[in-house]
Amino acid sequence: MAKYNFWFFSSFLIALIVALPVITVFFSFFSETSNYLTILKNTFLFDYINNSLIILIFVLSITFLLGVISAYFISFYEFPLCNFFSWALILAFAVPGYIFAFSIIAFFENYGTAYSMLTNMFGEYNYNPHIPKLDGILGSIIAISFSLFPYVYVLTRSSFFYQSNNYIEVGQNLGLSERETLFKIILPSARPAIIAGLALVAMECLSDFGTVSIFSVSTLTTGIYNSWLSFDDLNLANQISFILLLFVFLLLSIEIYSRKEAKYHQPSRGFKPINKIKLSGKKSLLAFSFCFLLFFISFIFPVSQMIYWTLKFPKYIQDINILKINLNTMYLVGLASIVLVFISLFINYGSRISKSKILNYLTNFSISGYAIPGVILAVAFITLFSNFSELMSENTSLGNIKKLFIGSIFGLVLAYFIRFFSLSFNGIKSSYEKINNSIDESAYLLGYSKIKTFSSIHVPYLKNNIILIIVLISLEIIKELPMTMILRPFNFETFATQAYIYASQDLLEAAALPSLFLISWATILIIFSSKYILSQKN
Amino acid sequence: MRKIILAISALFFVFGNLLANEVNIFSARHYDSDVQLYEKFTAKTGIKVNVVSGKSGALEKRIIAEGGTADLYITADAGRLGAFKDNLQGGLTSSIIKTAVPSNFRTPKWVGIAKRARIVYFAPDRVTRAELRGLTYESLADPKWKGRLVIRASNNIYNQSLVASLIKNNGKGKVAMWSKGIVSNMARSPKGNDRAQILAVAAGEADIAVANTYYLALMLSGKKGAEQQAAAKKVKPFFPNQGDRGTHMNISGAGLVKGAPNKDNAIKLVEFLLSKEAQKHIVNNTYEYPMIAGVSPHPLVVNMGLDFKQDLTTKVVNYGNRQADALEVMTAAGWK
Repeated sequence: MAKYNFWFFSSFLIALIVALPVITVFFSFFSETSNYLTILKNTFLFDYINNSLIILIFVLSITFLLGVISAYFISFYEFPLCNFFSWALILAFAVPGYIFAFSIIAFFENYGTAYSMLTNMFGEYNYNPHIPKLDGILGSIIAISFSLFPYVYVLTRSSFFYQSNNYIEVGQNLGLSERETLFKIILPSARPAIIAGLALVAMECLSDFGTVSIFSVSTLTTGIYNSWLSFDDLNLANQISFILLLFVFLLLSIEIYSRKEAKYHQPSRGFKPINKIKLSGKKSLLAFSFCFLLFFISFIFPVSQMIYWTLKFPKYIQDINILKINLNTMYLVGLASIVLVFISLFINYGSRISKSKILNYLTNFSISGYAIPGVILAVAFITLFSNFSELMSENTSLGNIKKLFIGSIFGLVLAYFIRFFSLSFNGIKSSYEKINNSIDESAYLLGYSKIKTFSSIHVPYLKNNIILIIVLISLEIIKELPMTMILRPFNFETFATQAYIYASQDLLEAAALPSLFLISWATILIIFSSKYILSQKN
Repeated sequence: MRKIILAISALFFVFGNLLANEVNIFSARHYDSDVQLYEKFTAKTGIKVNVVSGKSGALEKRIIAEGGTADLYITADAGRLGAFKDNLQGGLTSSIIKTAVPSNFRTPKWVGIAKRARIVYFAPDRVTRAELRGLTYESLADPKWKGRLVIRASNNIYNQSLVASLIKNNGKGKVAMWSKGIVSNMARSPKGNDRAQILAVAAGEADIAVANTYYLALMLSGKKGAEQQAAAKKVKPFFPNQGDRGTHMNISGAGLVKGAPNKDNAIKLVEFLLSKEAQKHIVNNTYEYPMIAGVSPHPLVVNMGLDFKQDLTTKVVNYGNRQADALEVMTAAGWK
């Protein structure tokens, strides 16, 4: 049984760890719940599902329009600042939905920023009734859409980018109008990429916790959280999670399927950049205005609101221990990305040299961590280790080991590991698969050991990819809110938790400074990696 | 791997037992001023204060799951402490505590640290004195307020505690009717926090609002900017139920957690929080009412009026006991 070797067992172990929360959720689906399920069914559950669906449908439509239109303009046309927009639009990734939510509330509320601006421009008057109130579901839809549209933009754009011809020209040659070209050639060709982007948007949207809770909208995700907290019913929470998971797995399959499709649409070699068509006059203005507005609303608007607050309420600059939070963030990001990348490389390598099919299936399980909303993962994590600890203290002399996992850096990094392993593992896998196996054979013939093949051939080849993965993990961890909030140790804040705590104390203006730092870090990471992100072939 | 885990956990225990001069706080009330207060306590006693803050629900779950870590659980609502009583232990019974805190604001398991009232705010240009005369929480359901009232959502704990106190005084059936009246009087679907309710009255969206006392003082202080300071001046506070039991009072409080590893230090901290020095610090930063006698609230709070009758007959322990009932009647009435 050569299959069941060291590599098999280590991959099995990792896959098991990553899949544990899903397994926990799955099994509790069949356990008993309190009577609250009946109350919930009669009152809230329908509302939760309804709100989740409304938000999902609108977010998908808006991100589709924003992402595809901007990708269309930027890929096929030349207009003022089009090269700048090509990466600047990704900066929306730097602003998490919950920070976008703060900005919307601050700007549109009674006596908010919009009111101040109007007063400064036109003098004293009660402008409040005339300022639209973007809150509740509407606010959530806007905040989530503008923070997630880059998924659609990036994937659609790279699908356009790797076409061998400019479709506009193809359409002209075929005698089609611009509109016909768009609907008959361009959109169908990018369909897999668009669907993949939308599936990611949908997953993030369903698992959103911060944004909707800032707007006090109850969705399936906050419903899970509330049934766990208010009704003290973990099984119920897990059962609702299960419903949500079904949704998410459906989306995930769509996404994976679309990506496979997308591969057929890409030329394997002979890539040359497409010739862009130069726009002038009204059309140029239209393309420019669209991209500018998108960039303005998604990035400049929240950033200026945060800067405005920081300057208007300078008291908080002294109150907040920014240095410590910076160090905390670097510490978490550093530790988690080292662990993630190291283990991902290790398992990828094992999977490569053992060539086991079972191993391949096992590692597919790894995706499950990403599929679970962070808040549910944190819930499952606490349950799991609380039970595990009781089991251990009953059967061994180990005593209480909960403290090792709950409220410790170790536990937090483990939770990040479960959540982001799929991102890191699959990111490295996609690049690893491009190293032909014959290269390994040649290396062995030259007398290279397996370790040396790995360290002097694989790692240098994967270097760029590893850097990109580290950047992406860092970006996710910097923005991560619910897990950090629930699992963090004593006296330990990140930018995300600090901002959220201030916001939930009705001190949005104090949340500005940590938010601004969070956005700055994320912006630096995005700018640093924008070349890689934009050149990703899906 | 197992050895490493063993070694690390052993290390944790050694540290946990050696560095015992500390106190672990799980706080759902996380003002910066509280942190300054803890620093003062450390300077005075040498006891290190560890804090993890968050939303009360998640903190409670973690206190239970983690087991044997938390010493004190601090919240901004008596209902929370009451609902969590099975995970708290008795012991807050020292003479210092008993003399400082009136008996309706404490149990052996938890004590109030500061007080707040949940009151009515009105727009003086649209609400007459005659309309307000004899106003009670009960009479907010009167049809004369139709389309004129704003109040936040039913999932808000301050509302749950208010409704719990109404149930205690009037019975569940009457309060179920009352909730329906409130919902039909709402000027808009509930949204935003207490401050947003006050601002809605200032902006003319509604005529009266229900909100806690310290929010108005916070806006009047200018800490929320000049616009909100000006807006706050457009509304006036009104203290309901002066003709009967008095205005609904709630507390910020601290509970002693079951299995607290540093019980003595926790009690010392509670006693410190009830000292004159700490009470002055609290009222001047959070605009709450002091828990102990002999400390004056912040001048802005004094200006709102101190000669109102507080409800000292409804024990705050009822807020926790009747919480589920409160949520049930509000939900049934369609109170979002």
